[in-house]
Amino acid sequence: MIQLVIGQLLNGAIVGALYGIVALGITLTFGITGIVNFALGAFMMLGAYFTWYGYEMMRLPYPVAVIGAVVLVGLFGLFADRGLFRFTRNNLVNGLLVSIGLISIIEASVLLIWTSTPKDLTYVLPGSLRIGGILLPKIKLAVFAVLLLVIGATYLALTRTWVGRAAFAYSQNPEAAALMGVKTDRLQTVVTVYSTALGGLGGALYASLYSLEPTLGAYYVLKAVESAILAGIGNTIGALVGGIIIGITEGIGSVFLPTAFRDGYGMVFLVLILLFKPSGLLGSK
Amino acid sequence: MLFEARGLTKRFGGLTAVSDVTFDIGEGEIVGIFGPNGSGKTTTLSLIAGMLAPTSGELLWNGQRIVGRRPFEIAGMGIIKTFQNPQLFPELTVLDHMCIASHLGFKRALGMNRVKTLFWPYAGRAVERGAEKKMDEMLALCRLTEVSEEKAAALSYGAEKMLGVAMAMMCDPKLLLLDEPASGLGQEEIVNLETVLRDLRAHGVTLCIIDHKVSFLGRLADRSIALAHGVVIAQGSTRDVLANPDVVEAYLGRKHA
Amino acid sequence: MTRIIPIVAFASAVVAPLLIRSDSTFAIITFGFLLAALAVSFNLIFGFTGQLSFFHAAAFGVAAYMTAILVSDYGWSFWAAIVPALLAVGLLALAVGAICFRFKLREFYFAVVTMAFSEMIRLVVVNWNSVTNGTLGMTVTAQPTLWLPTGSISLTGARTWYYVALLILVATYIICHRVLASWIGRCFAAIRLNEQLGETLGVNIFMYKLLSFVLGSTLAGLTGCFYGFYTGFIEPQYLSITQSLDIVAMVLLGGVNSLFGPVIGGMLLTALPHAINLTAELRIILYGAILIFVIIVMPSGIFGLFSRPRHAV
Repeated sequence: MIQLVIGQLLNGAIVGALYGIVALGITLTFGITGIVNFALGAFMMLGAYFTWYGYEMMRLPYPVAVIGAVVLVGLFGLFADRGLFRFTRNNLVNGLLVSIGLISIIEASVLLIWTSTPKDLTYVLPGSLRIGGILLPKIKLAVFAVLLLVIGATYLALTRTWVGRAAFAYSQNPEAAALMGVKTDRLQTVVTVYSTALGGLGGALYASLYSLEPTLGAYYVLKAVESAILAGIGNTIGALVGGIIIGITEGIGSVFLPTAFRDGYGMVFLVLILLFKPSGLLGSK
Repeated sequence: MLFEARGLTKRFGGLTAVSDVTFDIGEGEIVGIFGPNGSGKTTTLSLIAGMLAPTSGELLWNGQRIVGRRPFEIAGMGIIKTFQNPQLFPELTVLDHMCIASHLGFKRALGMNRVKTLFWPYAGRAVERGAEKKMDEMLALCRLTEVSEEKAAALSYGAEKMLGVAMAMMCDPKLLLLDEPASGLGQEEIVNLETVLRDLRAHGVTLCIIDHKVSFLGRLADRSIALAHGVVIAQGSTRDVLANPDVVEAYLGRKHA
Repeated sequence: MTRIIPIVAFASAVVAPLLIRSDSTFAIITFGFLLAALAVSFNLIFGFTGQLSFFHAAAFGVAAYMTAILVSDYGWSFWAAIVPALLAVGLLALAVGAICFRFKLREFYFAVVTMAFSEMIRLVVVNWNSVTNGTLGMTVTAQPTLWLPTGSISLTGARTWYYVALLILVATYIICHRVLASWIGRCFAAIRLNEQLGETLGVNIFMYKLLSFVLGSTLAGLTGCFYGFYTGFIEPQYLSITQSLDIVAMVLLGGVNSLFGPVIGGMLLTALPHAINLTAELRIILYGAILIFVIIVMPSGIFGLFSRPRHAV
């Protein structure tokens, strides 16, 4: 029983961290470009599929496939930003509609090229570690570690580096930031591309754990938006925390409650938050 | 007594915008509100119009408590407020603005019968004709007739403010709350505004006006209150209030308009 | 000029069957009418009152399911079944709308919350297998009969359904038009353009927002009642967010500033996939591309290209 609960906790934490990394992208994009980019889920899915293709089809070593996927997704993000999102800055409704249009295109394209047959990666890191009597799969630990590392590094970058602080300053007061020499247009593109890359990384890591379907992005992005809103859009570490909270609650919850309505719980939760505390539970913005 | 504010207080988190403000407005009066920026003048008007809920205090309209009523209800009772920064309907023409402002008049004239106009467009014809006539009158009064077909966004600042007044007048106000109606207006426009407001008073409309221009409001207002830091520092006839040393000190360094 | 177009268009639609031979053409146009009706009722809420609702498909789907279930499983007559179906949709919309507007949800957050409610309803439909047959959907074999003084007509056949669908479209259009031309339309404009100003001028913003949402959603329900009986098949996909999105795309394409624009958009987006033979995936890609294109390049849509921007009156 302990094994089951700890196992579910770890699963929940990983899933939560995946929500969290996409939620981080959502939060960053919102703070700097003023829209909620639902397409990040689709980019996550692209990251997963590119990794699968590199690892399974091209026989590249897993880390190489991951890096390649992240770079490719980042490029896609660059095109999306310069071609589309550039025109919807600070317009939440248009941003919503454009990102949903983009999702349709990306999902349908993947469906066309690779069909809906689930794809799996052959074992990336087989074996488990025995810690205190509990069996923990190595790959899950590795993925969790990487996710934490990247999110932590992002947080450090935001608070310590010049770029990060410029981004933060901009999200608080765009005009002042511009006056102080922050190249806002470039900043927005950089943040969008970085968020896309984060999503892509999430997808690449997801690929090592679960089977892939073109619709995985939609599921994750909804959860990611929930996490971001839960934490308060604008709160970067909060996004991670929010994601993990949701992930673990779902994991434990699915042990005891019917899975069919699992998504429904998240929805109800989201609606309640938006109604009563739109600034999020940990909200600042 | 037409209107009374008693102990009106509004706190925003740690900031107290308005504290224990008490004053009244009698029917047919023109009451002025003076005070430097940030003294709580606009907040007071917003509280009266129901756009903000007071932290504590009472608002009485003809003896009835109106705290907690929604802004549209308060407008329906006859209290109409204009905005310091002109509020407009983007894309629409001046005439369109007046049409929307005729809503209250339409509602009052027809009551529930207005539902009939859904099925039989001509049911409200007479009322609409009357409203159109009134629109023309108000536009003429506010010197907006020439621009009635213009998009409101294309108007000069002064014209935008007059449009706010014109729309307010369409609502048949009993008490008109004006938030800095003269700011940004040229000399000629101010003279016109004064004429319009005196004309309104002659027609039985009570006015409560915030403004910085001491010369403008000083001439117009019978009684006044002076606010500083959210507190009433003087109340009484306009002349006395303006001569009050505390008031002069609050305005120290400010140029006469 | 733009006032005559709808009249001419509808008039031509009445006589067009004289020229149409093939059943498949009838089908495409009939579907076009039904989806155009959905687009029109949606634009009442979106284009004219300024609220982006993702609840429309849910309203449509709930009515479709309810009518079908009452007729197929409980033996009700079609016309009797419409009443509780529309009532249910109206009440649902009332509840959702009241919650959203009571909490002053604006634009984006309103869209997200209506998405959430829509999804919750869809999940109920998907999981209530005993009643709705879940993901497999329901087949509807019953045919509504219309009793006239001259005898009864059973609603079958391409030609009959063509006229029924046209009637639904015209009815929806006229209802929306009357509402918009009345004082209610002015209140909608106030909500769309400057709520705060509208409120100070005495407009009960909450009530009129709710009115717009409930009326638009109920009209969507009306279309839904008939839709299942026309296609003969209803599935939970009808209530999905993607279905709502298709409706948004139709309205944006046709022109969000008018009532006739959605008709154009609805007919075009329905006819297009059949005119160009596309696989399902390519069709989705096309929809997505059209949506993006319209928003970025042509925000006023097709009808907006050659009509004056509308006035409040």
